[in-house]
Amino acid sequence: MNSEKVIFAFFIVLALTLNFGFFLGGMDDVNHHNIYELFAAIVVSLISTVLKVGDRTHLGAVFLATSLVADLQLIAAAIVWGYTANVMGDSLGGHSLATVISLSGGALLANLISVVLLVSETITVRR
Amino acid sequence: MSNLIYILFRRLRSPLIVLILVYAIAITGFVIIPGVDDQGQPWEMSFFHAFYFVSFMGTTIGFGEIPYAFTDAQRFWTLITLYASVIAWLYGIGVLLSVFQDPAFRQQMRRNSFIRRVKNIREPFYIICGYGDTGMQLAHSLSDSNIFSVVIDPSEDRINELEADDFRTMPLSLCDDASQSEVLEIAGIKHPWCQGIISIADKDTVNLTVAIVAQLLNPDLRLIARAETPEAEANILSFGANEVINPFETFASRLALSLKSPSLYCLYDWLTGAAGQCMREPPVPKHGLWIICGFGRFGRALYDHLDDEGASLRVIESDRKIRDIPSGSIIGRPTEADTLIKAGIKDSVGIIAGTDVDANNLSILMTAEEVNPDTFRVARQNEDNNSHLFQAAQFDMLMQRGNVISNTIFALIRTPMLGDFLRIVSRFKNDRANELVSRIIGVVRDDVPELWELRVCEDETPALFKTIKKQQVLVEDILHGELRLEHLEQKRTLSAMPLFLKRGSGNVLLPENNRIIRAGDRFLMCGTYEARNEMLRVVKNINVLESLLCGRQIPAGWLFRKILKVNCTREVREEGVNNE
Repeated sequence: MNSEKVIFAFFIVLALTLNFGFFLGGMDDVNHHNIYELFAAIVVSLISTVLKVGDRTHLGAVFLATSLVADLQLIAAAIVWGYTANVMGDSLGGHSLATVISLSGGALLANLISVVLLVSETITVRR
Repeated sequence: MSNLIYILFRRLRSPLIVLILVYAIAITGFVIIPGVDDQGQPWEMSFFHAFYFVSFMGTTIGFGEIPYAFTDAQRFWTLITLYASVIAWLYGIGVLLSVFQDPAFRQQMRRNSFIRRVKNIREPFYIICGYGDTGMQLAHSLSDSNIFSVVIDPSEDRINELEADDFRTMPLSLCDDASQSEVLEIAGIKHPWCQGIISIADKDTVNLTVAIVAQLLNPDLRLIARAETPEAEANILSFGANEVINPFETFASRLALSLKSPSLYCLYDWLTGAAGQCMREPPVPKHGLWIICGFGRFGRALYDHLDDEGASLRVIESDRKIRDIPSGSIIGRPTEADTLIKAGIKDSVGIIAGTDVDANNLSILMTAEEVNPDTFRVARQNEDNNSHLFQAAQFDMLMQRGNVISNTIFALIRTPMLGDFLRIVSRFKNDRANELVSRIIGVVRDDVPELWELRVCEDETPALFKTIKKQQVLVEDILHGELRLEHLEQKRTLSAMPLFLKRGSGNVLLPENNRIIRAGDRFLMCGTYEARNEMLRVVKNINVLESLLCGRQIPAGWLFRKILKVNCTREVREEGVNNE
């Protein structure tokens, strides 16, 4: 067992699960979506990006790309949330909430690809 | 480039993760810990405010407690996270700086910038492998005549020396082993502007490898290599090298030449000497008994060449165990007067100090002078930094390994036809050589002579190329003898002469005055600097050339030509001389 592999897989899967947890719920109800979960998803996604950076293989490059997509989508979602809540002074709902959730949905897809890559890489390793 | 980013992020991975974690924990803490607003009402910090506060706290900017004054619990958390974030930042910046200090990283950066700059070269350049004494002199000569060069040497000290040196055009340099094909490739061996590769490393094996790699990667490239043993010389030549220079052989053959034909020696010395040097009075060694001190590579080469000239030779060698030493040799220290007297210094006409220790060579010749002041003294100088000593001693002839090689290579680079010319001239009898030298001296007189090449083609000599399609142009018309230049009031003698002509695969030595110039001809010219400039003007400017051929001024414009009805074609003559 390689501890580096464990940490790597842990962060990639955690990024997916947190993202999924945040995404899950109604598109029009802010109570279904926890802001702490979004924050955690961003932090974990950033960490997994840093873990992927510096891998010279082709697979490593794809990992990095999907991870960067997830970061971008999640940070965009956070900015929309923060701007609506603090600058416009509205409570989150309607159009802004839908934007936040669909952005996180896109990130979810990117994270899903990461996990698929991880699983397929694991399967090719001969025991 | 990708290599650099790879190394950078590899090393920055853990500081970045630490930074992200510290920020995440600090922000979460501020969001969770309850605060109060200015009205004393309970207030919870949003992620937006927490991120804002942590951002300026972590970077020690510190705008204050925004938006409301903190409670004691918040201040407590600020204390903890403040130090944590500052430490995380310091850690990250420390690692970043150490990456930039890292020798491997710096080497990679230098290499990348080297590759980029080689790719951007848009002028003819040469690759020099090896930056010892020879390489240094050669790089300076090339840069002084505005020829760009790329230098490769495995020693970092030498590359640093190069970078600290003053050059007119700074050569590109790379600290690496030239015998690796990859290194030669990034140095531009396949570059369209690469003119040739000069391998002058200390070791013959390196030069041999460079020759092989160059032959494999770019067989059309001009290759000039240095070799110190006859075996290596033959080996490198077999890999398609154009010229191989063995400093010992070169010098020994020159010395033998000065015995055989002083004027040929003089010609050689001048043609392959340092640029801008006047033709010198040749040294006059005599036939008779020659003493060779030291029977290493240099001694052997001398022995072979002088033996061919029929000089009687005696070798002094201090090493008893040396093999195949000629009979009648003296075993002993040549630095002692007794040994020299035993070898017959009193009756000798010349002595050659050819050991590989400079101090010994100096001492041998000093002692020899005391015993026999009339003897011809030849010194071998091994170390470049001893040149002041050797110059002060004023020996009759001095062999500097670096100079011999770098001057020869430089002459070959500037005028590639020189190699063939010298090979033909070396077979000359004494009378013919004397005649050649006196003709050259007659042309250049007291000036510093120059050598240059003239190629009849559209790029280099457009005017001449155009004209010879329409009418016959003879050698005497533009290249030699009396020409009507400038305002055509009087004829002037052009201080230049063609030495050598290459037409297809044929070689013509000293082309005759009535030879017709054809497209594709290559002339090796010799003359004064002014004559060179004048000639280049003539062959490039169609107006000057036509005026010259007509013998009077021709208007440049079409209108005046029509008005004056200028007709400048001469009757066609048959070419009387066939190619040799």
